[in-house]
Amino acid sequence: MNYDLIIIGSGPGGYVAAIRAGQTGLKTLVIDEKYIGGMCLNWGCIPTKSILESARLLRRVTKAERFGIDGIEPEKLSFNWTKARTKMEQNVSKLTKGIEYLWKKNGVEFLRARAELLSPTSVKADKQILEARHIIIATGSKPAPVRFFKDSDLIEIEQFFISETLPIKPLIYGRGAYVAELAQFFSMIGHQPTVLLEASPILPQDNDWLNTALERILKKEKIPVFVQDQVQIEDGAIIQKDRKISFDKVINCSLRKATLPPLGFDLQTEGGYIKVDDHLQSSIPSIYAIGDVNGKSFLAHSASAQGLHAVNHIQGNNDSYDDSLLPMNIYTEPEIAMLGKTEEQLTREGIDFKSSEFGLNANGKAIIEGDVEGSVRLLYETKYNQVLGVQIIGHHATDMIAEAGILMQLEGTVFDLARTIHAHPTIPEVFMEAGILGANHS
Amino acid sequence: MRFMFKFPDIGEGLEEGKIIEWYVDKGQNISSGEPVVKMETDKVVTDIPSPKSGIVAARFGAVGETVHVGNVLIEIDIASISGNEAQAEARKEPKKTASETVAEKGFGVVGTIEVAGDGAYLPVSEEGTLPQEEKPGSLRKVLSTPVARAMAKELGLEINSIPGTGPAGRVTKKDVSSFHAKRAYLDETVSPTSAPESPQISIEKVPLSQIRKTIAKNMLRAKQNAAHMTVMDEVEVSELVKLRTMLKGKYQDKGISISYLPFVIKALTLALKEYPVLNAELDLEGGNIIYKHYYNLGIAVDTPEGLVVPVIRNADRKSIIELAQELASISEKAKQRKLNLEDLRDGTFSITSYGSIGGYYAVPVINYPQVAIFGIGKLTEKPVVKDGQIVVGHMLPISMSVDHRIVDGGEVARFLNTVLGYLQNPVSMLVQ
Repeated sequence: MNYDLIIIGSGPGGYVAAIRAGQTGLKTLVIDEKYIGGMCLNWGCIPTKSILESARLLRRVTKAERFGIDGIEPEKLSFNWTKARTKMEQNVSKLTKGIEYLWKKNGVEFLRARAELLSPTSVKADKQILEARHIIIATGSKPAPVRFFKDSDLIEIEQFFISETLPIKPLIYGRGAYVAELAQFFSMIGHQPTVLLEASPILPQDNDWLNTALERILKKEKIPVFVQDQVQIEDGAIIQKDRKISFDKVINCSLRKATLPPLGFDLQTEGGYIKVDDHLQSSIPSIYAIGDVNGKSFLAHSASAQGLHAVNHIQGNNDSYDDSLLPMNIYTEPEIAMLGKTEEQLTREGIDFKSSEFGLNANGKAIIEGDVEGSVRLLYETKYNQVLGVQIIGHHATDMIAEAGILMQLEGTVFDLARTIHAHPTIPEVFMEAGILGANHS
Repeated sequence: MRFMFKFPDIGEGLEEGKIIEWYVDKGQNISSGEPVVKMETDKVVTDIPSPKSGIVAARFGAVGETVHVGNVLIEIDIASISGNEAQAEARKEPKKTASETVAEKGFGVVGTIEVAGDGAYLPVSEEGTLPQEEKPGSLRKVLSTPVARAMAKELGLEINSIPGTGPAGRVTKKDVSSFHAKRAYLDETVSPTSAPESPQISIEKVPLSQIRKTIAKNMLRAKQNAAHMTVMDEVEVSELVKLRTMLKGKYQDKGISISYLPFVIKALTLALKEYPVLNAELDLEGGNIIYKHYYNLGIAVDTPEGLVVPVIRNADRKSIIELAQELASISEKAKQRKLNLEDLRDGTFSITSYGSIGGYYAVPVINYPQVAIFGIGKLTEKPVVKDGQIVVGHMLPISMSVDHRIVDGGEVARFLNTVLGYLQNPVSMLVQ
């Protein structure tokens, strides 16, 4: 036996699991054929947010005069993709180095190779056959390939971040939060994006509030949105009735499919994803599958939480994996964040609930910053007034959701939120206000 | 500074008492050791002395009220210290329970009583809030989520009794509902209404009396801590029967009833002096045997409420008549629940005379931490062989349990030979 644990894939699922495994004394090897950090660090979370930050700053700088800053001529401002990319690459490199450091510190080995599972306890990589007591598959996912565009028109996300130039009139094809983020990115830097949805609404979730919010954002940006089955696709253009919109490139953001490593034996799958139980164990107990590859969620923090869970289970913790409190962030402007149950879920589950919502437009800090769009919304059941869902739209929403996390993890009520003294002036004061509103109405 | 004097644990496992009489009033000076209140418990009536000197600032509870151990009895304004000294005193970490030696004035005895110590001191500023009334056994405060608390309250569950499965044992909503479900299930299955319809299967639940709880606790403690060993024997006591009959007639007119027990006590105390390990205590933690050079014999008395074991102090120094008088007095007090704490304390060896009710042999349970108990069976006339002849003998069966951890079999046998020798030939002990 060469290792206690071999992890295939070094994304946020795999690398976090590896660190934990090392810390808890497992002899661990991580194998990845390409990058350290997987999609999240190399062509997902981090690069997207990095270029979005550049675009947001551009937009913010145009408002500089209002803040009392002279000398900025908005018409001279332009977006430099090469420089934005350089900054992005620096961010990525800093973070991947951080991972390597943590692995080294915790005795985790890394092998850059394509891994193939030969048996439930053996992996072939780099012409060697390695044995391990446990294997974690954390190989992630990729957008499903699209066939109805010319190959030369298509840009896969993975390539997008290394392209030399940006399309001027990109067609963002697919579904999910990524579509909205990318479309808004192009809009903020002055390009003319068009969105073509695989299907409506934007998010493949039954969440009216969220989908309406996203539609509103795209509408405000004046980004045309179409749904695939209502348009005809021509060479370089999409046509809906008498409307024809041309594009120069198509960015593939279609819903993702699991990337499975080559397997020398049968492993149960469901809809293309590796089937796992409550402990994230596959049909073969020595093999765990975490992150996108098991289809539970496509969020980086979910993969990390699953990675920790799998290692804890290997180490004898028998708790079931619980992802009922998984925050979901969308980095549009304004940002969107949500946690817990939606109205649809509560209604479906027959839980009596109320909602309380408080806007940012009266919040001191939001007024100072000049971004007053949005609100904090609480969904709470009516018996104990426990907060079961939180939805936030607004600047800093993606950071503010953390407060909802701790509140809900500890099964807090609107009273607890109302009682929590918030510093002034801060945007999270709105959180407290929503709590007070709820407490008064309960 | 203020001192909150709480109803102390007076031992014997008693958890509550009734206020019979207050000896102090609000505003009155009180000295350490002076009695504060007369309390009646299931077992005893006793005076509770004050552990501190000062002025009584407040008094809690009226005559006739039941007070639980840990409840505040009086608040004492301790005048003797102030300023920095008081600050320092107030900052002292209160002990959970402290044993304080309190000189009981008027009794001339120094006894040790448990003083409820936690939270007993109020901050010097007197701005602090009074400590919450304590419920016995609820000192452990669990971590729990706000919803779990609200839910437990609504369901009438004590949150501290619910096992938590969250981080650090935090009680969550799930824990409360599963605890509730489990309890509801148990209630349902145990409740007589859902029991099978059979008139024979009916039960009645009667809450345990304090005295029964105490007996249960003490018996279990003895069985769990001592290595019981029992020796049984019988002795021919015709001489003793004659002697007792003679004395009985003589003292009847004086209102003194003489049973066999004073003779047994006499025989035992004489033998105990020869075999000191039977009048001892094992201090396993300290690695010592504690030999007691006083002979306080506990006498098990059957009362309607349950068993109590009052003590005859310095039994070795008392005559047969004195012992008979004292026996009469304590058994009367026991039956009327008039025993006080003094009457129950400091036994070194116990006697149970189950035979007066019935039964030849028994396996008595040691009155822990004592190491031996002597049981007297039913005196009967039996055919015995004496000088090759079958004659009528007066046979007294006895059973003696010892803690085999410190008393060996040989020692018990030798001890019994001595005791039974005295009983067989009572004159020999009376001349000692």
